[in-house]
This record gives sequence, structure tokens and C-alpha cells, in this order.
Amino acid sequence: MTKILRVAWHEYRRHVFNKRFLMGLLSVPLVMLVMVGLVFLIFAMENNTTPLGYVDYSGLLADPLPAPAPEKPDKPVPILPFETEAEAGSALAAGEVQAYYVIPADYLSTGKLTVVHMGEVKAPARRQFYDFLSVNLLRDIDPAIAARLTEGAEVVVVSPDGSRSASSQNWFNVFLPMIAGLAFMIVMFSTGGYLMQAVVEEKENRTMEVLITSVSPNQFMAGKIIGDISIGLTQIVLWGAFIAVTVLLGRSSIDFLRGIQISSQTLLLVAVVMFPSFVMVAALMAAVGATVAEAREGQQVIGLISMPVWIPYMLMAVIMENPNSPIAIGLSLFPMTAALTMLIRDGLTILPAWQIALCAVIQVASAVGAIWLAGRAFRLGMLRYGKRLLWREIFVKN
Amino acid sequence: MPAIELTHLIKTFGPVRAVDDVSFSVEQGELFGLLGPNGAGKTTAIRCMLDIFKPDSGSVAILGGAMSEAKKDKIGYMPEERGLYQDIPLDRCLAYLGTLKGLSQAEVRQRAEGYLERFDLAAHRHKKVKELSKGMQQKAQIIATLLHQPELLIVDEPFAGLDPVNTQMIKDLLREQRQQGVTLVLCSHQMHLVEELCDRIVLIDHGKVMIYGGLEEVRRRFSGNALIVHADGEIPALPGVERVEPVNGAVKLHLSAGAKPQEVLRALVAKDIPLDRFEIAMPTLDEIFIRVVQSTPQGQSTPKGQGEGGGA
Repeated sequence: MTKILRVAWHEYRRHVFNKRFLMGLLSVPLVMLVMVGLVFLIFAMENNTTPLGYVDYSGLLADPLPAPAPEKPDKPVPILPFETEAEAGSALAAGEVQAYYVIPADYLSTGKLTVVHMGEVKAPARRQFYDFLSVNLLRDIDPAIAARLTEGAEVVVVSPDGSRSASSQNWFNVFLPMIAGLAFMIVMFSTGGYLMQAVVEEKENRTMEVLITSVSPNQFMAGKIIGDISIGLTQIVLWGAFIAVTVLLGRSSIDFLRGIQISSQTLLLVAVVMFPSFVMVAALMAAVGATVAEAREGQQVIGLISMPVWIPYMLMAVIMENPNSPIAIGLSLFPMTAALTMLIRDGLTILPAWQIALCAVIQVASAVGAIWLAGRAFRLGMLRYGKRLLWREIFVKN
Repeated sequence: MPAIELTHLIKTFGPVRAVDDVSFSVEQGELFGLLGPNGAGKTTAIRCMLDIFKPDSGSVAILGGAMSEAKKDKIGYMPEERGLYQDIPLDRCLAYLGTLKGLSQAEVRQRAEGYLERFDLAAHRHKKVKELSKGMQQKAQIIATLLHQPELLIVDEPFAGLDPVNTQMIKDLLREQRQQGVTLVLCSHQMHLVEELCDRIVLIDHGKVMIYGGLEEVRRRFSGNALIVHADGEIPALPGVERVEPVNGAVKLHLSAGAKPQEVLRALVAKDIPLDRFEIAMPTLDEIFIRVVQSTPQGQSTPKGQGEGGGA
């Protein structure tokens, strides 16, 4: 066991404390930071807090109630009354208001009003003026009813068994498992690529011959796989931590982030479906490394292996339209496509317990099979220099 | 109990029989030479010894039985094709390989320190292995092989790429290991070094054992009918001598079939030739090697490939 851990630690250290890995690790948070920055920039550009003006000929705003507080990230825009359009026009020309609304005397019957502006009135300011108008139109109605009419209804979609629900407050949760699945896939194949590369290098620079007189091929392979999974988990955990911190910090400024939460079922799927898939992919990568003669050839084989893994991504529209269709269930029970399909479906439907259990059993069995395959490939292919091991040899030769 | 015992070992790769009924043993504490031309099957035999390859038939006993994980920590192996991680610092590479042999980090540090000083590599310990010269990498590989103080040391071409100073250093080191009771198997094409260092040898060609035994005994066996005579004056025609050949200030007398050295000596004395020295001409290992390899039926042909790709 000590030797397995030593191989694992060597593998981990060699790749994690490496510029290429650190760049990859930081690239996601950096991209996220840029995206969050862009979102805030867009909000900032939309949020023009220069006051709005209005000229009221209808008398509806004679003694107005103040506008309700806007939803974050919208910033409050002062709303100023003007006696005449000339006054309002002067204020607009002086830049004291960004626009002014003219509410005609027959507003109640026609619903028409006029807006005069130099530049476009952005949505946050526009929303606030309409809220201000609505509040005052409804001032004589029971405040609770008025508030309900202003805020609108929050429709919560609930599954028949009550186990799942979605609303406009937590719509993002539908996509979370899918995003987690894609992140895992990217990590799986990028770290698997390191593993394959490392094995090919050890063959190419003849280190393998020294290593296997110190550890058994099985210990060596087990250490490599543990190291590879640890590298992947490091990436996932650091990305997850970064996302969690971003969400926590962003909650005070962005309302929809408050509804984000990861369900226990998603965590269960990660444990029983995604993790065995990770082991399976790592073992397959080790097997590829042991069988090919050079890294470039290995990349081509990985390309072939990874193709079926992305089928659920390509069929996402079909799965989203009917997450319980035979094709979706079929993909959930095929080892190479199960992980991503299950996580896409997790956000969209109730996954029957039998499907989760069967999928977990298939994935664990596939992981064990892949480890066996990798062990065979290692034993037969580790000292093939410049000569590829044929896959049929793995199955027929002792 | 021999340190290594191979009995009727056979290993084939497809149509090629790389090791063909090979049997020999290496006694504990001896320095044993494993010789053979390129592609003779030496590396395959070593890989079978080390349990890297499973033989098709025959048996291997190493340190008193079958190979086990525990025994791997008692064996040091330096393959002909050097194998060190190129893109990590030398000290980290040695630490990894040392800990895989069961040493603690502290033990590796302490032992590596001494070897790095001795091999003049201390100043290069933080350099990446690929930044070291070929000779330095060679010495680093030897350190990696010795760090765990093995009981059995198998070194394949340890002198390749070394200058005379470093060659001498490795020779001294191998002798020192033997004095400490380590069993050594030396694979080399440099016959004069094998002659200098080894107690016994086995010569394999085309997968078969061609010569096996003590070095002196082998040389005597191949000495043939020739004498080296240091004499004052010309050597006259003698009965039983076919040809006289000058060799380094002496003469080499090639005897005819059936002629005995004693008869030649008697003839020389009878002719009153003043003799400084009279000895049986012993062939060098180089000569024996060439003679054996060229005498095999396949000796004139190109050496065959080895199936496992790159092995010998």
C-alpha cells in the first residue's frame, strides 16, 4: 500500500505542481471572473441613476406614493415631478434628468403616455417608473392586493411526489447538475490525458523498466489511477470552492444566486455514477498509455474513446425534451454515456431509484473491468518500445 | 544456495525463441559476467530473472525462491537503456526511486548525499535530469541502483558512455560491492573489463548457453595448441610446431594437432635455447567471444530480432 501511495504522490506532485496544470486550474476561475465582471459591467451600464422626470396632466400623481425599492442589482432612480413640459425639457437639456414622461389627462382611458429622452431609457429605470405608476394607480386598493398585483405571481412547478420543485427564483438549479457533469467530463479527460502521457513517457524514456523492478504492475497502475483521480478532484474541489465563494459573495448583489443549491441527489449521482466513471476513464487512459508506442498515437486513441462520452451532450436537446425517453434511459445505462446523461436528466426529471441503482452497478462493474483491462495492458505492453500492443493480445495472450 | 538459478529457461516471442533452454546459476557474493552478442537473449534472460517476463517453461529461483515484492527491495537493476525521469530535478528523481525500494525520505537523503559527493554530482542535484550530460546521467542511474544497498545487483553495460576516470570509479565501486558481500551480475561488451572483474561467466548466443564456468577455466579450455616463448635468440624449426609468430617481443608457437607443450619444451632445452619464459598461450576473452560467436551455425548471419522490441 505504501508503494501505491508513493506512486500516487509522485504522479500527483509531478502534475499538480506544474505550470501547465496551474494555468489550467486558474483558467476556469479567471474565465468566470471575466464573465462575472462583464455581467457587472453590463448591469453598471444599464443602471443609469440620473433621475427620471414626469409631467402629470391626469392628476393621478398629485400626491404620489414613493416608488418601491428596486430588485437587486437595479439601483434606485429618483423620480422628479415637473409642472410643465418646458421645465422638464430644460432639466433634460441640462442633464438633470435622463428622460421625462408626460402623463396625459386621458391616461386612464387610453393608457398612452409619452416619454422624451436624449438617450434610450434603460430597462432598470423604465421598470422603476412603471412600478411607481402602478403603485400610485393602485393606492386606493388594499395594500396587500396592490403589492401582489405589482410583484406578480411566483409559479412553483412541483413534481407529483413533491420531491422536486422549480420556480423563477431557482431556475438555475435545473442546469447545475448538467454543468457539474460537463465540468467532471472536462476534468476526467484532461487529467486522464496527463496519465496517458506520463505512462507513454515512462515507456519512452525507459523509466518503466526500473520502476517495475521496484513495484508490481498492479501496484504501479493503482498508484497512477489514485494519483490521477486526486489530480482531478483537486481541480474539481478548487473550482467548486471558487464557484461557492463567488455565489456566496454574489448573493447580496444578484437575487437569483440566492436560489442556487445542490440537491442531495446530485451529490449521490456524483458519488455512485460520476466517481466510478472517473476511475473507468483513468484506467482506460492508463491502458492506452501502456498499449501505444508514442503520445501522439495515444491522443488519437483517446479521441476515439471520448467520442461516445459526448453523445449525451450532442443529444442534449432530445434528452431535455423528454428526459424519460427510451433513448435517455438507454444512454443512462451505457457505461461511456451514463454519467453525463444521468446528470443532465437529474436537473429535469425524477430519476427512478432503480435507474440510479442499476446505473451505479454498471458503472462500478465497468470501472473494475477497466482496471482489469489496464492491468493486462500494462503487463503486456509496458516494455513494448516503438511497437504497439494489439488490443486482441490483451484478451488472448497470457 | 545460489543467488540466482535458471533451470531450462525458455522464452519465445512469436516465432523467435529468445531464450532457449538456458540454465546457469550465480553464487552468492560472486561477480558474474553475463555475456553475448547483441540480440543474443541476455536482456530477455534478465527480465525473466526479475519477473518482468514470465518464461514459457523452465524455472527461475532468485535469492532462494520465486520473485516476491519483498525481494524486489533487495535487488538493484540497472538496465542497458537508462531510465530516469528527465523533467524533474535529480534529487527528486533519486528520492522517488529510492522510496519505491522501501527507503524513507530521510534514508534516501542521507545515502544520496554520500553518493552524489563521491560521483561529483552534488552541485547538480537540483538540476533537471535532462540538463545533465550523458555521463552524469549514467552515474545518476548507478546511484539510483545502489541507494537501497541491494543484496543482488544486476548491471547492464554500466561502463557505456563513461570516460576512463569514471570507468575506473565504477570498477572500484563494483569491487567494493563484492567485498561487502553483494552478488553482482555484470552484462558488458567490454571484454577486458569482464576479464578484469568477473569470477565466472556465461556466454549466451542465439538464446543458448555457449560457455559457462570460471573465467580461468574457460580461458584454459580455449587455450588451444599455442605457446608463448620469451627466448634469447631465434627459435629454430621444432617438431610439432606449425608456425612461429612474433608477439610483443616474444614468439607464439602454434602447435600441430596432437603435439604436446612438454615435447616442445624438451626440444627447446635439447637445442640449448636460452629461455626467459615459457607459458601456455591463454586466449583473451575477446578472442574467445569472437571464436564462439563465429563458430555457431548462425554466427555468420545477422543476429536475429527479439520480438519484445529493443531487448537483447
